[in-house]
Amino acid sequence: MDKFKFEGGQRTLFLGMIAVGLVSMVLTFFADDALHTRFWTNYLHNTIFFLGISFALLFAYCAFTLAYAGWFVNFKRIWEAYAQFLLVALILMLPLIGGLWMGYHHLYHWNVPEDVATDPVLYGKSGFLNKWWYTLGTLIVVGVWYLCASRIRSLSLAEDNGGGASNNFAEYASIKKWSGILMFFGAFSSAAMIWQWLMSLDAHWYSTMYAWYSTASFFVAGLSLTIITIIYLKGKGYLETLDGNHLHDIGKYLFAFSIFWTYLWFDQYMLIWYANNGEETVYFQTRIQQYPVLFYGNLLINFVMPFFVLMRNSVKRKHGIMMFAAIILFFGHWWDVFMMVKPGALHTAHEALAQGHGGGHGHEAGFTPGFTLPGLLEIGTFIGFLGLFMYVGFSHLSRAALTPANDPYLQESMHHEVI
Amino acid sequence: MSDHKEVLFGLYDDEEIMMDAIRVANKEHLEIEDVFTPFPVHGLDHLLHLSESRLHIAGFVYGAMGTLTAFLFMSWVFTRDWPIIFGGKPYWSVPAFIPITFELTVLFASIGMVVSYYTVNGLAPGVENPYLHDRITDDKFCIAFKTNGASSQDVGKMKDFLSRTGASLIDSKII
Repeated sequence: MDKFKFEGGQRTLFLGMIAVGLVSMVLTFFADDALHTRFWTNYLHNTIFFLGISFALLFAYCAFTLAYAGWFVNFKRIWEAYAQFLLVALILMLPLIGGLWMGYHHLYHWNVPEDVATDPVLYGKSGFLNKWWYTLGTLIVVGVWYLCASRIRSLSLAEDNGGGASNNFAEYASIKKWSGILMFFGAFSSAAMIWQWLMSLDAHWYSTMYAWYSTASFFVAGLSLTIITIIYLKGKGYLETLDGNHLHDIGKYLFAFSIFWTYLWFDQYMLIWYANNGEETVYFQTRIQQYPVLFYGNLLINFVMPFFVLMRNSVKRKHGIMMFAAIILFFGHWWDVFMMVKPGALHTAHEALAQGHGGGHGHEAGFTPGFTLPGLLEIGTFIGFLGLFMYVGFSHLSRAALTPANDPYLQESMHHEVI
Repeated sequence: MSDHKEVLFGLYDDEEIMMDAIRVANKEHLEIEDVFTPFPVHGLDHLLHLSESRLHIAGFVYGAMGTLTAFLFMSWVFTRDWPIIFGGKPYWSVPAFIPITFELTVLFASIGMVVSYYTVNGLAPGVENPYLHDRITDDKFCIAFKTNGASSQDVGKMKDFLSRTGASLIDSKII
């Protein structure tokens, strides 16, 4: 049926974006402090952001499949393609893992043996927050996610070539099986890994809402990217069977999960505030006092904007407004992850640098470029990673038909109607 | 008796036959009074040119009223009327108000929408609602025309339309 063609112009654009990213990263590396904190936080932030998006979309795909959902079938190839980024993300994680063993980055306070020995909090967590867990956890967990993603993808493609009804829907049954595996495994492992990757940047701090909160963030970002892709492909004349009804339903997801994200954002704050958890308030105190624009801007972009823009029924069918909201939300959740990563890492770096130079307490609260707010180098790095993600996604997308012709739910999807 | 309606209606066995009939009626400019189906039929609203419901606008207004009621009331109680210190927190502790504000928003919006819906449609417990035929709530699809003041020629046209488009039963009723 309709096969997406990855044109030369798009390739050039994405390669150009990657080049912008590489230049930004090199510049960051050389204009940095002795520990290259800005470079490594940017790298971690963007790697996890796009890893999270591909995982969240894979997870949604599996949840929809297991729930016998039919409406998403005529754009499910987009999610399949984006989930394949997990392999690239796994490779991108390797330098971070290497840094734990060879010490060329200083992101995680729990990776300093002298501090762990003297600090009871870090010592208490050292059974989980250590480089063995981080290394093996990342390799195994992301490896299994990618295994599920690639199996589902190849089964779905096999369905196109002589599978489906003539094969008694055997491929579809197998996709269901792999979806079950991913759902079961992914639900637990994603929470554990996000604690390792992001939450442990604030090594003394913990929050039970963190895994939910960050996953909601990744899912909203993934939905935004899906909407952007769909509107772009529709503009190019692809996805003929997809119409306003599908966009309406994805729009509802975007709206609903923005509200869900806000609920978790608030709950994470309120549980700590209400319970007078003195040792946990430091996370919010740092952010509210030293990063107010980041902190309140986050709520403004990711809650107030979608709440009022996306509320009307008819808005979710309009390409222009949906594109606008999706782009803002995509950037907004990148901003959110920025806020999760930067303050904790800067604090760790300041303490390490202050110790290295013999004393003093590194808690200066002034404006720090690239930490207090995203600077041009952060935006450049973001563009680079986005280019890489889109390049990988589009090259997978171009390898098969955009509409899974033999999917048992294709007819249901084509006749999807919501009022 | 002016509020009583004289209705001519036809029952169809299948929603597809009924949908085709509505298309024919639209083409012939016959004014359909209403359509009754045992379950929601996709595309029916569009065929009947029904405009979007305004119930959700009412819902937003009720919700906003709930938000304001809860937030202002709690603010007044905890700063003016009866200030109490909870766990060393300030009197005006906004985060603590948020859950109740949220809940009252939902409560006002849902109750308000139910009441509005019932009022607009003349529904209430104990109200006797007129119906055209028993099987409309079971397995038949009904197209109804209003015949108050219609000439016998027009009624004949409607009857002809109903029988032509495959209605299995044609009847009239005063409700």
